[in-house]
Amino acid sequence: MRTRGRFPVFAVSFAAVYAAVYYFALDNNWALFSYGPAVGEWTLFNHAASAGPTMYWYGWIATSAIAGAGAGLIVCLLPGNLGGRLWSGLAWLVPVCSIAAIAHLLSGYFKR
Amino acid sequence: MWITLVIIHGLLAFLLLGAITHQVVSVWAPVRAGARNFVARFRAVGSVNYVNAVIVLYLATASLGSLLYTNYRITARLTLEQGHYWKSFGAFELKEHLIAIGLAVLPAYWCFWRPSLDAGDARTRRMLTTLLAFIIWWAFLAGHIANNIRGLGT
Repeated sequence: MRTRGRFPVFAVSFAAVYAAVYYFALDNNWALFSYGPAVGEWTLFNHAASAGPTMYWYGWIATSAIAGAGAGLIVCLLPGNLGGRLWSGLAWLVPVCSIAAIAHLLSGYFKR
Repeated sequence: MWITLVIIHGLLAFLLLGAITHQVVSVWAPVRAGARNFVARFRAVGSVNYVNAVIVLYLATASLGSLLYTNYRITARLTLEQGHYWKSFGAFELKEHLIAIGLAVLPAYWCFWRPSLDAGDARTRRMLTTLLAFIIWWAFLAGHIANNIRGLGT
């Protein structure tokens, strides 16, 4: 099934790129910003908080959302009907693969 | 304040779970004729009516969860680590990533539930709904288990 219309093209591209980038952001800690909940400290990129734990989750989401939105816009603006050739199944298949890869990353917790 | 927020978060998650479960059952096992019993009526709901509710509830629950997550990170998570509840810990870690990926799927989910789309999009619609249902069920159960281990206000 091909994707018709600009918003469906954007939505499919966004889902696929966001989900793929999220996995790599998690694996390589590409956080756009970090947060130290114990001290209420926000820092740009993946810097550890001055005290207590550091949270990168918000930063990974931001990184992935920007990448997904950028890719979605680019695919929408492709000349001709290139975006329309996008398979709509990518919207669920790439997130499923990303989830499987993340589950593999975290599998150590379930084997202890 | 955190306890109140956890309870509201749980209630929103419960509503979301109900909405997505109705929808996923109705897309996999729709009732063609008149619904006669409880199970058939459960399957017979108008799936499209749940789309906006699922999106709003997902965003509200995830937003509240992301706020609560700061407190979890410095309290409950330590309890899970120190108690060596590694499976529950891993389930909660996976939950946070599933929620993040669910955000990626929401625009496509909304898009593929529009009535203007033809029957050829039914598979994409069904798979997106199933994926969201899996994410929501996992998140609900992992959060519930973590909450049971840590307890409220302990």
